[in-house]
Amino acid sequence: MKLTISRWRLAFGTLVLALTPLLALAQGGGFGSGYGPPLKVIPAPQSFTTSEAHYQFLLTQAKGGTQHTIASVPRWDGLWVTAGNTHMDAFIEGGNFNGKVRAGVLTPAYEKAFKERWREQTEEGQVHYDRLGRCEPPGMPRFLLEPYSHEFINLPTESYLINDFGPSIRRVLIGKQHSNLYGTHSWYGDTIGFWDGDKLVLNTKYLYPADFTRWSPMTSNQFEAVEIWQLHKYPDGIERIEVQATFYDKFAFVKPVSAVYAFRHAAELAQADYRVIHWECDQTNNNFLDDKGVSNFHLPGEAGFNDGRGSTIFPELPGQTRDPIYNTALPAATSPAQSQSAPKGAKP
Amino acid sequence: MKRLFNPLLLASAMVLMTTNVAQAHHSFAMFDNKTFVTKTGTIVRWAFNNPHTWLYLNIKNADGSETLWSFEGAGVTGLIQRGVTGNTIKPGDTVTFMYCPLRDGRPGGAIGWVKLADGKALNLADGGCTGTEETSRKR
Repeated sequence: MKLTISRWRLAFGTLVLALTPLLALAQGGGFGSGYGPPLKVIPAPQSFTTSEAHYQFLLTQAKGGTQHTIASVPRWDGLWVTAGNTHMDAFIEGGNFNGKVRAGVLTPAYEKAFKERWREQTEEGQVHYDRLGRCEPPGMPRFLLEPYSHEFINLPTESYLINDFGPSIRRVLIGKQHSNLYGTHSWYGDTIGFWDGDKLVLNTKYLYPADFTRWSPMTSNQFEAVEIWQLHKYPDGIERIEVQATFYDKFAFVKPVSAVYAFRHAAELAQADYRVIHWECDQTNNNFLDDKGVSNFHLPGEAGFNDGRGSTIFPELPGQTRDPIYNTALPAATSPAQSQSAPKGAKP
Repeated sequence: MKRLFNPLLLASAMVLMTTNVAQAHHSFAMFDNKTFVTKTGTIVRWAFNNPHTWLYLNIKNADGSETLWSFEGAGVTGLIQRGVTGNTIKPGDTVTFMYCPLRDGRPGGAIGWVKLADGKALNLADGGCTGTEETSRKR
């Protein structure tokens, strides 16, 4: 019997040791990396000063773009999840958490800010500012890295790129010019595009300044992107949507930055009969920054705790709990500030 | 006789792997991810939410009273890929589990693995807590 256990421990140890190099290779900031052949960045064909110049060059090269019909437009049906990227490598030497901030990528002000963020990340295990921790939506460009399920719906005159958390919906208008009737910027900006055969080419602008992602530099209100989305098929049935992206930001980047992001079919989710539902901050966020600037959580019973599955502000009415299946209850906070969102005496 | 296949060891191995590939939407700075604690408790709520799940349990104190503890786990998408859903854990279930505590001492932390009453082991970790059964200490 002892021999059996020893064999198991030996097998377990061997498994961990065998996987370690693979997992090390999977680093680089890529959610779900290691699926399919290594990702390779394809930089812009020449130097452009603006994303629009880059986009117009590609549009001219494609002779105005392919006019797809509902029958010919590429279909990327189903659920997808992220399958790696080269994102970290664009900003960090070695592309992992042991690396240093790359020189010559960011402007002095943004490099200084990123070095501080990187110090926070590597020394304190966190950055002080993260958009989701403040109930801000994922937005663009973080959309490209979000580790939740995605759906990509292509029609001849528009495409919908969806991330189930947020939820994030990027509306792509095919063959249009940029428009900004609001006279301001936003989390997802304005995206136009065209088809070049089976490649979907996008140009996005009018974005809010924010953090690119949690471990990445800040971006300015002049951040713009050109993306080329294409479904690639590899041996052994591997299908991967690869997004070759070039980012422009005259305040943040010394020169345009290129990276590639990937998505794969979420077969496991489909098999589990997964449904995308609406998630947003009200249901899920109990983050706060403490007096030292460190992320933490409000717990049940504490002032500030938001019970996402609690009751509405009308507890006197029957059927007001958001948890009617299991009917669980968490302690309400004792502070008056919390009494509205977690009322006592709620009825299931 | 001990089984050749030990689900808890497998869950521990998966937890170890999780540390290399998972990246949550926020940092793990609030967790002491070098301390691994094992406890037993009764489920109050399994909140199967994005971007993170939360496991709430009542744990008995030495004086017989109970304290509600809160633990953060991986997001829905990742857990479904590990075979875990919102119905896998139910209120009233008694489970043994491993976690990494909050640094400030409040009753909560990052969840590692959970062992259900039927012996089934689940990896709920999101990279903030990577201990195995052998490295855990019971409290």
